[in-house]
Amino acid sequence: MLTVNLKKHFSSKSKTEFLLDVSFSVGNGITVLTGASGSGKTSILRLVAGILTPDEGYIKANSQTFFDSGKNIDLSIQKRRVGFVFQDYALFPHFNAEQNIAYGVKTDDKKFKTNKAREMLSLFHIEHIGKRIPREISGGEQQRVALARALASDPLIVLLDEPLSAVDVETRAKLLDEVENAQRETDIPFIYVTHNESEAVRLGKHRIVLQNGHIILPIS
Amino acid sequence: MIWESLKLSLLVVSTATVLVGLIGLAFAFLLAKRDFRGKELLDACLTMPLVLPPTVTGYYLIVLFGRRGIIGGFIYDLTGWTIVFTWYGAVIAAAVVALPLMIKASRASIESVDPNYEIASYTLGKSEFETFFRITLPLAKRGIFAGLVLSFARSLGEFGATLMIAGNIPGKTQTMPLAIYEAVASGDDRRAQILAIILTAISIAAIYLTNKISSSRIY
Repeated sequence: MLTVNLKKHFSSKSKTEFLLDVSFSVGNGITVLTGASGSGKTSILRLVAGILTPDEGYIKANSQTFFDSGKNIDLSIQKRRVGFVFQDYALFPHFNAEQNIAYGVKTDDKKFKTNKAREMLSLFHIEHIGKRIPREISGGEQQRVALARALASDPLIVLLDEPLSAVDVETRAKLLDEVENAQRETDIPFIYVTHNESEAVRLGKHRIVLQNGHIILPIS
Repeated sequence: MIWESLKLSLLVVSTATVLVGLIGLAFAFLLAKRDFRGKELLDACLTMPLVLPPTVTGYYLIVLFGRRGIIGGFIYDLTGWTIVFTWYGAVIAAAVVALPLMIKASRASIESVDPNYEIASYTLGKSEFETFFRITLPLAKRGIFAGLVLSFARSLGEFGATLMIAGNIPGKTQTMPLAIYEAVASGDDRRAQILAIILTAISIAAIYLTNKISSSRIY
């Protein structure tokens, strides 16, 4: 369960001022977050992950408080245990797929790390690319590695920022299945940002629609 | 004489390059990743030796490290030893003039690493320290190596500041550029020629290596 109630004011020289003011609660399952570009989708993910700091409000995952302006709580990114899948994957280019996944496994035991990484590779049916670096694998495979890496870190929630925007239609359908499978396996909240309507419809039992920093439509 | 100055130059330059590598990287990290008051002033001070006449840099080094200097006076009172007219002085001169090159090259390289890699590392629970050494540094290594090679070459050619703080004592502080100066002054053209060719060859190799590193694809 993730509960979010926050306000964040954005201002820059080039853009007009923008206020993000949202309040929502999501349970275990996939929640799709949609809205036009610039409506604040990615900002919400970044605020939950701790990359950005809200002006006021609170963010709670299960019984753990990530942020609470009233109580002066602001957990660091490292302590929030959030699995983040970036739009451009952000796989470390100097590590192979296996090392990318192992990097996030929280233990000092090297053997355990490697075993866990191999387990994740096999879960996503990509054992054959374990020793290849990101540049040597396809977009779909990179996406699987990114998801595997996020899950290997044993997160409380998973945030996916338009993860399939760079893969072809056929691969996209397969990856959507895998995202759903991964959610079922872990049984934790996934927040999936997309502006692709077919993806949203395909995944969205629960859906939040944003417009200009405000929620206009929660669909359940 | 040629052999002695070559040996001394290599000793001075390799020691200075190690110092420049460590100190330069620390400053590059500070300037690239931290915001603090006086950051631009610090950057300007560290860049200064790049544009100051080397004799002026040498003068400041004497003010700092001389027997009656701010730091040097303290060391002299404590130990009775001074860095002036020793090869350590030559190391300091070489390091100070090369430091801006190392800082500029590695700062630019660290800043060019996509911040999403660092953020991804933080979300995976890694500290800023671990992220810097395991993610940022390997991805910035091209610029850092280029900075090291340039610093090595700049240290090797250092003349003015070295002369000011370390003097020109054959076998003790006479590095190759100083040996060339003395050879020309005493009419020993052949020695000057050999030394000049060696320094030219090393400089060309350094430029070639820097270009090679800059144009290579790492990942």
